[in-house]
Amino acid sequence: MTPALPIAEIWVYLAGSPLFALLLTLAAYEAGATIYERVNRHPFANPVAIAVLIVAVGISLIDMPYAKYFEGAQFIHFLLGTATVALAVPIYQCWSALRGKVLPLAMSLLCGGTVSILSAVGIARLLGADVTIQKAMMAKSVTAPIAMGVAERISASPTLTAVFAVTTGIMGAIVARYVLDALRMQAWWQRGFAIGLAAHGIGTSRALSIHAEAGAFSGLAMGMHGVAGAVLIPLLANIIF
Amino acid sequence: MIRGLIILLGFQGAGEIISRLFSLPVPGPVIGLVLLLVFLIRRGKVDAPIDTVASALTKHLGLLFVPAAVGVVMFWPQLRTHLWAVGVALLVSVVATIAVSAAILRFWPGGKSSS
Repeated sequence: MTPALPIAEIWVYLAGSPLFALLLTLAAYEAGATIYERVNRHPFANPVAIAVLIVAVGISLIDMPYAKYFEGAQFIHFLLGTATVALAVPIYQCWSALRGKVLPLAMSLLCGGTVSILSAVGIARLLGADVTIQKAMMAKSVTAPIAMGVAERISASPTLTAVFAVTTGIMGAIVARYVLDALRMQAWWQRGFAIGLAAHGIGTSRALSIHAEAGAFSGLAMGMHGVAGAVLIPLLANIIF
Repeated sequence: MIRGLIILLGFQGAGEIISRLFSLPVPGPVIGLVLLLVFLIRRGKVDAPIDTVASALTKHLGLLFVPAAVGVVMFWPQLRTHLWAVGVALLVSVVATIAVSAAILRFWPGGKSSS
């Protein structure tokens, strides 16, 4: 028996079990989070973006197909739903601060959501992207799990929609500070709400790491956008397409 | 901690059941969020077990997006042909969305004064 055989056997076992995908994902995120902390939470060192890069490079190096990786990583993915439910807690904690803000928040949501869709679809159309891409842009500012459900209802590709949603989340988490500073936005609740509205969960994650109140309002915006988007985006899709 | 997890999963499950039972366009977890929020408001406080699990999950919300996000890179070859259009559309759109939603809050009567 050659000594290489047991190692090969162990590798086959590892690659077949969820262990490898889980370990890689957690380690990549830990690395991303560490780098993010090291550079004083600079927006460009987005931990999700770093983790995604590490995992993508990692699984390409060992020729692991995405579907195989996801089989293991789905346990982490599943918790996205549970974390969505858990956002009720930060929202509850800023509940008393909501008094008198309901109307401006609702207006902000309605206008922001409409701008999000019209600008994305409009620019994509103008620059010659095909209808598949345009349709997948409809739900991209809504949190990924909801966006995928909406995509099915408007006969857009759920996967492409998720891709756009995640990209939007990362972009939003990176640019939010600069846009909000340029507008001289100072109130944390306003900054948080705008981030959560445009960049859903990844934006909320960023907001939570900066300021508790911003995080809570970001979670609120993400939840409100999710509910409103699930109902209104299919109606708007009928008009646009 | 286990108790908190059971409560959160319970609300998620209740949301899923309601969403499917009435074939609502709103996904289960969002209904679960609303149900938990109503529960917390009626109860008037966040019990420690719920708080423990909820803060752990929301603190590492970014991690939970990684598996889905890796799909971005896998779809790279297909996106490449439209990279310019997609990139510009997404970037301009997210900047415009942040700007418009923030500006409305700020210039709404009383928006500037309240902290």
